[in-house]
Amino acid sequence: MKKLLTTLSAVLIAITALAQSGGVKGSVVDRQGRAPIGDAKIVLSQKGEEVARCASANDGRFLIDRLADGMYDMLVTADGYNDLIVSVTVDKGFVKDMMFVTMTASQKIAEVDDSSFTEFDMDDSGYTDTPTILYGSNDVYTNIAGYGFSAIRFKNRGYNSETQDVYLSGIRLNDAITGYSPYSLWSGLNEAMRAKETTMGLEPYTEGLGRYNGVTNIMANPSSVRKGWRFSALTNSAMYRLRLMGTYASGELDNGISYAVNVSARVGGNDWIKGIYYRSFAYYAGIEKNFDDIHRVTLFTFATPGQRGAQNASTQEVYDLMGDNMYNSNWGYQNGKVRNSRVRKTFEPVTVLRYSYTPTTDLEANATLLWRTGKNGYTALDWYDAADPRPDYYRNLPSYAYMEEEDYNRSNDEKYEWAREMWTQHNRDFANYQHLNWDRLYNVNYNSPDGRSKYALEERHVDQNDIHLAANLKWRASDHFTLNGGATFRWNKTENYKVINDLLGGQYYLNIDQFAERDFGANEALTQNDLDYYMAHGEAQKIEKGGKYGYDYYANVRDARIWASGEFSFGRLTANAGFEAGYNSFWREGLLRKGLFAGLDDNGNEIFWGGQRLTNYDADGNVISSKGKSDVFGFFVWNAKAGAAYRFDGGHRVSANAGFLNDAPTFNQAFVSPRTRNTVVPNLTTTKTFSADVNYQYNNGGYSARVTAFWTKIMDQTDVMSFYDDTYHSFTNFAMWGIDQRHAGIEIGARAPFFLKGLTISGVLSLGEYIYTSNPIMTQTMDNSTDVLVSNEPVEYWKSSPVYKKAKLPDGTTVLDQNADGEYIIEKEQKHYVPSTPQLAAEIAFNYRLQSYWFFELNGQYFAGSHLDMNPLYRTTIAVAGPDHVVTPAEIDYMTAQEKFAPAFLLNASIGKSWYINRKYNFGFSCEIKNMLNNRNVKTGGYEQTRLINSAAHNRYYRFDSKYFYMCGANYMLNLYFRF
Amino acid sequence: MKKLFIISAALLLLASCTSLKEEFQPVFTGKYKEPDKAQPAQMSANTTIAELAAMYNGKPWDIDKNIIIAGKVSTTDKPGNFYKSLYIQDETGGIELKFGRNGLYNDYLPGQTLYVKCKGLTLGMYGFSSSASYGGNGMVQLGFTDPSGEYETSYLENPLLIDQHIFKGETGTEVASEVITESQLPGKNDTQKNNRYIGKLVTLKGLKYANEAFVLLYINSNWDKKSPQNRVFLSPSNVASDPTAGITTWAMSKAKMTEYLTSGRWDAFRVGSGNTYTGETVGDFKGEGSYPGFEKAAYSVSQYFKMGSKEIQIRTSGYCKFSDVEIPESVLSGKSTIDVTGILTLYQGNIQFTVNSIDDIVIND
Repeated sequence: MKKLLTTLSAVLIAITALAQSGGVKGSVVDRQGRAPIGDAKIVLSQKGEEVARCASANDGRFLIDRLADGMYDMLVTADGYNDLIVSVTVDKGFVKDMMFVTMTASQKIAEVDDSSFTEFDMDDSGYTDTPTILYGSNDVYTNIAGYGFSAIRFKNRGYNSETQDVYLSGIRLNDAITGYSPYSLWSGLNEAMRAKETTMGLEPYTEGLGRYNGVTNIMANPSSVRKGWRFSALTNSAMYRLRLMGTYASGELDNGISYAVNVSARVGGNDWIKGIYYRSFAYYAGIEKNFDDIHRVTLFTFATPGQRGAQNASTQEVYDLMGDNMYNSNWGYQNGKVRNSRVRKTFEPVTVLRYSYTPTTDLEANATLLWRTGKNGYTALDWYDAADPRPDYYRNLPSYAYMEEEDYNRSNDEKYEWAREMWTQHNRDFANYQHLNWDRLYNVNYNSPDGRSKYALEERHVDQNDIHLAANLKWRASDHFTLNGGATFRWNKTENYKVINDLLGGQYYLNIDQFAERDFGANEALTQNDLDYYMAHGEAQKIEKGGKYGYDYYANVRDARIWASGEFSFGRLTANAGFEAGYNSFWREGLLRKGLFAGLDDNGNEIFWGGQRLTNYDADGNVISSKGKSDVFGFFVWNAKAGAAYRFDGGHRVSANAGFLNDAPTFNQAFVSPRTRNTVVPNLTTTKTFSADVNYQYNNGGYSARVTAFWTKIMDQTDVMSFYDDTYHSFTNFAMWGIDQRHAGIEIGARAPFFLKGLTISGVLSLGEYIYTSNPIMTQTMDNSTDVLVSNEPVEYWKSSPVYKKAKLPDGTTVLDQNADGEYIIEKEQKHYVPSTPQLAAEIAFNYRLQSYWFFELNGQYFAGSHLDMNPLYRTTIAVAGPDHVVTPAEIDYMTAQEKFAPAFLLNASIGKSWYINRKYNFGFSCEIKNMLNNRNVKTGGYEQTRLINSAAHNRYYRFDSKYFYMCGANYMLNLYFRF
Repeated sequence: MKKLFIISAALLLLASCTSLKEEFQPVFTGKYKEPDKAQPAQMSANTTIAELAAMYNGKPWDIDKNIIIAGKVSTTDKPGNFYKSLYIQDETGGIELKFGRNGLYNDYLPGQTLYVKCKGLTLGMYGFSSSASYGGNGMVQLGFTDPSGEYETSYLENPLLIDQHIFKGETGTEVASEVITESQLPGKNDTQKNNRYIGKLVTLKGLKYANEAFVLLYINSNWDKKSPQNRVFLSPSNVASDPTAGITTWAMSKAKMTEYLTSGRWDAFRVGSGNTYTGETVGDFKGEGSYPGFEKAAYSVSQYFKMGSKEIQIRTSGYCKFSDVEIPESVLSGKSTIDVTGILTLYQGNIQFTVNSIDDIVIND
């Protein structure tokens, strides 16, 4: 689509009426390496009135002729580059040759990748929190929202981040198991991954149909890396201290070969969140050969080996006690040094081989093979029959001793004072109470009689083997029709297991399931994580450092698709239509036989031990198996979309798109407890999505605007989570299906010159309503036995909760109001929102760029309507009713409402400058100060705990406090670069 | 203009040099050195356990004197029969420290000397009954104040509170039990003050099964546990014809409970507390092949034995690792006697005996 437009608009569009002989010509090039920039928009104006416009050709050249003598302002804009305004004087009727019009890449956008985000440790909560990363094009909205909204963890249009399609070299690389965008695979390789093609919303892409939240294709081939040497040093106070990066790209040599290398290191901690640190390295190397512009072979490989510490959420009580909303409970001192218990350790090399064939300018065919492999580990504390080591464990908090509300039955005010003392003395004597006490964990292990570790650091692995094959074709059949099409195949086998990372001073860890031991302790066989080992050796396996234990299974995914899309163009009207169809299947393959779910032996017989049958069956009479292959779940998937656009005179464009998708659930949404067994969510079905948008765009004389209205309905999503349920005093699995969402809203982005030359004002607004529109159905089972606790019950208060009218009593307390008949009054049904993203996000920015390559930016941002992730348990009648099974308005009012975060205002500024030395060496800096008002009360996300507190009167439940993540206070990022 | 900017920037940089040094503190990412072993506390006691127990005068006492006691840890919560607390003992007696935390044996090793700075803690009694017919003393314990009034002491729970009052001394050999005779058993109004075996690890020999068991079931453990509507006593006073309720194990795990309930074995037992029955029976709560009303929980069981003429209740937790161990048939039939080692306690004047592990029960053939 974009290419087509380029070709069309390379032609002069507007011409002055007067026949004049003067003009302007030149070549638009990248400031770096003088690479030509095609499709740059050039607008000439005089006294604020547009006089002429054109676009540069693929070789960067442009010509505007028939100009009258005089002074003109020339505005040059191009994707991924800063706008440039230069004065041009045409005199004596000559065509002024400007030679090179050099443009500077918009540096900011490129700095966004997943290392812009702290790793939120949501692991035990059942929730996920990944923001959308929007990459900039020339679109004002995407430019600002993509970078500026990242700190608040903005999700574009409220969509989950897995809806965003991320392609690498033409291959859709969203995680096979979870669907997430895999940015961490290449974070730190900003230079090699800089060249991107993006589409927005439903727009089809040329190397894949795309879904409804845009496509970002990272080219990553050596010839797209900017030519020359580039070095940069970056320091940053919110994430990691230092990033060093070096890049060399050859550009295309005379023999048709291009090669490029990019390496980087990111190290250190930050000013705000202790325990968060980076020790990450990254490399990229690629080579490409162009054979006579017809054949092109590319091979490249990259990885980001390293580790990073993660941040944990705590309750507001803890934050208030610590006097710090950025408190992180994951770390503690070991021998006086900060040690984080939750560290992500990755080394996942990706290798790509691509062949392109372009026999004519109208035909391009590509075949790509991509292989991702390696290790992805995440450490966490594990313990057996010992006190919970987490400092902010609820029993360590003041609220566990005393609560003002008597119904909590917590009245020990003196113990409350002890707990307060423990949390509010902020010195080293108390550090071991407020943070992990590593010294104690080691001492417990030292004391363990035969060296059995009671505390250990486990490392959970999700190790992928992901192979993709994709072939696609772009055929420009005529001036009016272009056909894109292709086929993709994905083979994924991901091993999930854990190993002992550190025995913390002990000699071994025992491979048993302590939750099983609690319930079935009398039968040792049932407590085994590896029953086969136990049956062969007569005792549980002792695990040494590095040994696998706990669980071990493969997630297998196969996905095959074919797709085609056509682009039609008739004058000012363009239209497109596309269709994709395929088959997605997945299954689990257990590698360990767990005592609880022994299944059948290799000969299909029931398993007995000690005279007892271990093989067990579910309610339908099927064997429950932990080992071996599960059923294969297969789904036909398809995707159809169409759109049209019409271009009016004067830079106006109107377009509309619509699409319908039928998508398979992901492996992680399907298996109820993949670590232990082959059971899947009941009624597993595909997710259906209908999405449509209408857009208006305007681009003229330095003014640029886009207004989009979108409407998306997502149906039949599933979700699973596992948690300890206090009503059953057991660890349970909670499966939920039939989750529907509706996302409707508008996006506005606008940019305009503002008084001074070089000064522009831009603004964006994202205003939407992202809500749940169904009450899903849930089933809850005992994790240990698969006994069904609750079956096919609606989650009654999921999509909304009633708001009762309140009245104030003379003593100041608030009660639910009643009418004359004693009935409670419902004022309205409060909708529940898709969480962890603002429903309203806005920014106004002033940009000032000087001819001397100084730039300044100041922007103000406002975010509102962000909500907390809901725990479905609190929306079930069972939890609302309490132990007496009676639902009262007071209980509904207390339990079911969704928390709305307070709005936030942020002020940010940037400054930068670059210098040229001998027209060869380029040196510069950019510095950004974010959250200048040092606002430390901005919640960016969090989750509700799933625990319940029984009331003193045993007639209702209270919630555990929710846990939150907060945004950093004032922070800076300074980047120095040197290029030649 | 440009020069001015550069100069001021340079000045700013210089001024912030010290803070920059702070700013660029490297994060340690190397190999962490293993921490040193904790050193034992050097303290000495100024009061014996019996002397401390003697200071209990019938109501909880928030200790305001500089009393330090010392004793060796005599129990372990490893097999799970002791839970959230442990006993220490000196020559004069033993006392329970109500820690209120799990996995105490990881931090407080059996045989290790503990020093307790009692000031700020509360001395109270658990299990006292004033009833003339069956009443008597319970056990004097050390815990924290309990303003709810539910018990005389509450659990310590808070790590700071614990660490400021209980200090770990030298580790040592495990406590050896003392074999005592029937005449040395405490009377119903005794405390550590007048019987030096109370709260200590002792061995009782030649116990004979008394053909009686006791379990308190809750219909739903999320309901009020004190309400008669929520209680079922499996005891001879409920169904006189079934004094053992068919229980042949030391305690009952969750699984064992479910097994008994669903067999219908207990259907006749009446719901109620003491002698006030609600009119309902366990059988009334029967659902489709299960008893959905009953919480699927494990339960403590008291098995009654006789030491000569004295009744000894061996009370065992349903959550302990040996809860479902069968009492040998020869013991149940009265053919064999047992020797048991455990902590000797009083509950409402009766002797309650708690073992550390199943190995503490020896069957005499």
